[in-house]
Amino acid sequence: MMGLFQTLLILLLTIPAVAAVVVACLGQARAQLVRQISLGATIAGACIALLVTFAQIVDRPSTPPDKTFRPLFVPGSTNDERSKTTWNLIDFKHFRNAETVKDAKLGAVQFYIGLDGMNVWLVLLTAILMVSAVLISWNAVQERVHEFHAWLLALGVGMTGVFLAFDIILFYVFFELTLVPLFFLIGIWGGPERRYAARKFFIYTLAGSVITFLGLLAVVIVCYHKTTPHELTFSIPELVQTFNLLVNRADLDAGERAFYQSFQFWVFLAMMAGFAIKVPLFPVHTWLPLAHVEAPTAGSVLLAGVLLKMGTYGFMRLCLPLAPDASITLGVPIIGTLSVVGILYGALCARAQDDIKKLVAYSSVSHLGFCTLGMFALNSAGLTGSLMQMINHGLSTGALFLIVGMIYERYHTRLIADYSGLGSKLKSISFCMVFISLSSVGLPGLNGFIGEALIFFGMFELRPTLAILGTGGIVLGAWYLISLVRDVFFGELKEPSHEGHAVEDITPREIATLAPIMALCLLIGLYPQPILNSMKPAVEVVANILNERKNARPLPVAPAAPGKDIPLVQARE
Amino acid sequence: MHPHARELAQLFEFGQPEIALVVCACVLFVGGLFRADRRLWGGVALAGLGVAFLVHLMIVLGPMASALPANASAAFSVPLLFDPLAHLTRVLALATGAMFILLSWHEPPERNVADHHACVMIIIAGVSLVGAANDLVALFLALEMVSIPTYVLQYLPRHDDASQEASIKYFLLSVFSSAFLLFGFSYLFGLTGTTNIAASLHVLYGAPGEDTKAIAGLAQIALLMIAAGLGFRITAVPFHFYAPDVFQGISTSGAAFLSYIPKIAGFVALLRVFGFVVPDAVTMQSYQGSGLALSDQVPTLFWFLAALTMSIGNLLALLQDNLKRLLAYSSIAHAGYMLVALASAPYLSGPDSASNGVAALLFYLVAYGAMTFGLFGVIGMLHRPERPVESVDDLAGLAKSHPFLALLTTILMFSFIGMPLTAGFTGKFFIFFGALSTEALPPPVGGAVRELPGWLYPTLAVIGMLNAAIGGWYYLRVITVMYLRGAVKPIETWGTAPGFTTLAICVLLTLGLSVPPGVTWFLGAVRATTARSAPAVPAPREAE
Repeated sequence: MMGLFQTLLILLLTIPAVAAVVVACLGQARAQLVRQISLGATIAGACIALLVTFAQIVDRPSTPPDKTFRPLFVPGSTNDERSKTTWNLIDFKHFRNAETVKDAKLGAVQFYIGLDGMNVWLVLLTAILMVSAVLISWNAVQERVHEFHAWLLALGVGMTGVFLAFDIILFYVFFELTLVPLFFLIGIWGGPERRYAARKFFIYTLAGSVITFLGLLAVVIVCYHKTTPHELTFSIPELVQTFNLLVNRADLDAGERAFYQSFQFWVFLAMMAGFAIKVPLFPVHTWLPLAHVEAPTAGSVLLAGVLLKMGTYGFMRLCLPLAPDASITLGVPIIGTLSVVGILYGALCARAQDDIKKLVAYSSVSHLGFCTLGMFALNSAGLTGSLMQMINHGLSTGALFLIVGMIYERYHTRLIADYSGLGSKLKSISFCMVFISLSSVGLPGLNGFIGEALIFFGMFELRPTLAILGTGGIVLGAWYLISLVRDVFFGELKEPSHEGHAVEDITPREIATLAPIMALCLLIGLYPQPILNSMKPAVEVVANILNERKNARPLPVAPAAPGKDIPLVQARE
Repeated sequence: MHPHARELAQLFEFGQPEIALVVCACVLFVGGLFRADRRLWGGVALAGLGVAFLVHLMIVLGPMASALPANASAAFSVPLLFDPLAHLTRVLALATGAMFILLSWHEPPERNVADHHACVMIIIAGVSLVGAANDLVALFLALEMVSIPTYVLQYLPRHDDASQEASIKYFLLSVFSSAFLLFGFSYLFGLTGTTNIAASLHVLYGAPGEDTKAIAGLAQIALLMIAAGLGFRITAVPFHFYAPDVFQGISTSGAAFLSYIPKIAGFVALLRVFGFVVPDAVTMQSYQGSGLALSDQVPTLFWFLAALTMSIGNLLALLQDNLKRLLAYSSIAHAGYMLVALASAPYLSGPDSASNGVAALLFYLVAYGAMTFGLFGVIGMLHRPERPVESVDDLAGLAKSHPFLALLTTILMFSFIGMPLTAGFTGKFFIFFGALSTEALPPPVGGAVRELPGWLYPTLAVIGMLNAAIGGWYYLRVITVMYLRGAVKPIETWGTAPGFTTLAICVLLTLGLSVPPGVTWFLGAVRATTARSAPAVPAPREAE
């Protein structure tokens, strides 16, 4: 069935893809046309995203879904099964041995996309930040304009695809494909250290995600081997359902239970390898400040606003439901602790920076720590808060990078020491900066507050110590951001030399860049209920899965020599 | 009269494409004495390959096709067996041959061009026959049909010192490896009393009820020697030492040749000799009803070869500045990934398996061929004596001077890395999906349960994936140089038509094999090589 919204979801991916090819072909000479096409495509994307978001809120299933995700608007779905697709990409029937057992069902890698409460807001966030990214690069990028916009749009396809994908391989394909455009965006249009930054970013994330890939494959394979009759599937909802049915079966003997424990241990580690680097969690965050500082403004905005969310989203969509026991026994102590360390360390590093962009980059490390902290509270409040925080951080930090870009465009320096009292000269930009800073530190009434509050509600229930330590991050966050605002925008006016050309306050283009983001910040801050409601069904699925496992009193994970006595693939029942 | 006289006579009919190739080679050898004309002899060579392909189509689609799966007892006596693997190898060989003719169009001096192409024809016929070999002697002859013209081929395009040194090095080591191979074959013959591969496998792995313990020790020596001899051809560590030196010394097309064509022959020969692909008629004790049958030592051997080959290839590639040396180590590394498929193949032959190691190997083999030929094509096109393209840095600024060429090269590089939407990714997906799907085979009738440690193949997959990430570093370096650096002296040559054709086909293959319908169609083709027409245990088959 191809309804209107199914078509719209496909358009969400194809419009930027087609636009990317078109602008790449237009060439350097028609730069203005390139910018216009690229803006048109992103605005179209944003409108579609808004439309499907509203539709998702309206169409949201009223009854709580049972055991797994139920995406809406799936292209290629049938009337009987609205949340499944029939669009096969690689059919594993072709691997079938002639003698393969009679009733094994060999599925296919599918083009399976859809919307549910978990991804809908992230898709919208991506679409809106894409418009801002195009607008902020209007004058900032003058070299190889067509290539720049082509890569930017390609990045948009990749990011939207990651969030939309409900097939585990498709997810990974989009996940990896985002590396390529960003590599070029940083490497060609970046700062002085761009080559090193681009390669470090690429290899760091590649090294993590290839291990994640093995983890994803392992889940698929174990689900295949352990089901009777065997059923091979790559669909995330089906895998979540199958795996949890297997783990929760009442008749598991001790050996099988131990197998699932050690299996989850390894799968968790494998997924963590990729997602933790992407988030980034504390010890593996070193690529991030470098990439941020060297990236052009549009790259920084999308990197902070959307790409980092792919890590946290991956944890929530795949890691928690597919390795629930390991998330409880391993995730809470390890990731919880790393998150708190990241929150405090990131905040302290941010305070110590003399470069505005670096400051914002380290603030990302700190804020993403809140996301993972809330997620590994493993309850409904924490998960919802974490999801909210993903969106809030995307809006606030995206906007912060936009403002840094605007200032840099005017004065060509990012050193805090070069500035003072800009508020008396750039009144509107200063207003935006104060507004966004307050939203970022979590002032009640703006968007940051609700997410952080939920995160700490959630975590306090599970590990009060971690929650209390984490709140320290809020105080530090207020400290470094308010200090930044004070140093740069208040006090006596001190401008860096700007070679004679007049410095103007905000332009209409820049207003268009920031206005949607600020409006959303205010909206979420004042009336978050519809958003929370729409997230609820998907979040409840994850929370229920985790609750069920918590009640089952998971055995302590036995990492010692896994598989030595427990073959990976056991004799099947 | 010989009981299988009819089958033996039929071999000549089935072998017509190879005969056509050899006839074409003779025409080229003789004709080359009278005229030196690049376009004429290039055209003749391509026409020869085309005729061979047409004949092949006539055989496969014609009335003889029904007789193709040789009947049960014939498999134990005929020297050549034209089963699906043979057909696939033949098509692959012909296509590779055509690509290679295009790739080397301008490389040999005009007076040698006919000889050059004639050697290629014989090599292609040899590769094609390796795919069909069902007899140790036939296999050895086919492999020598590949090796001996290769020595000539290395030497024809260039006559400088470096090229001579490289040719001699390759010649000596290649002969040495052939000796290993023969040594292994002789043991095999001594043990089993036959040179027929199907029959010797039958003895080695034991027909139902036979005890094979008595010959196990010597059989291991034989198989080890054969693995060493063929390991040279697929550049498996520790038989890889020649590759970087030889690649650096010889012409670009020669390096392209060595990086790929011996690999086809080597891997297909491994599939045959080790029994990864066996004729229908052969039934063995140690498996139930599928085309793969091995003792545990063989996968273990390949496990270690794969881990070593991937790791050493990738780590040493990190240190290289010379483009051809880099590609040599990259070629070693990719042989390692293919060996992963080979190592896991036996444990994927169970009736429940959702994966297939042989199909994954063949898929990757083709994907790798497209990448490597394409890349050598680029180097060959851009290299000029006055503006050499030898080190990685020589490609600096290519994106500025040749944007389209740089884009195509980038696609190939991403395929090497294994980024999605390239054949390199799809191939790695199949290989590592297989490595993780391995499971102990069901025990043979009346035999003991064979154990497979659960960590063994996941560990191999992790080693492989880490290697893929390491590989990312040096492939990315090439992209970085092309896009992010300016050239001191820009490359001025514009490519040649044959070079561009090769490159275009390679890029199309790289992209086409990664998305449907390309991937689905090709998967079906490679899967067919292990399809058995008559399952040992009759089982109801699902309609597909």
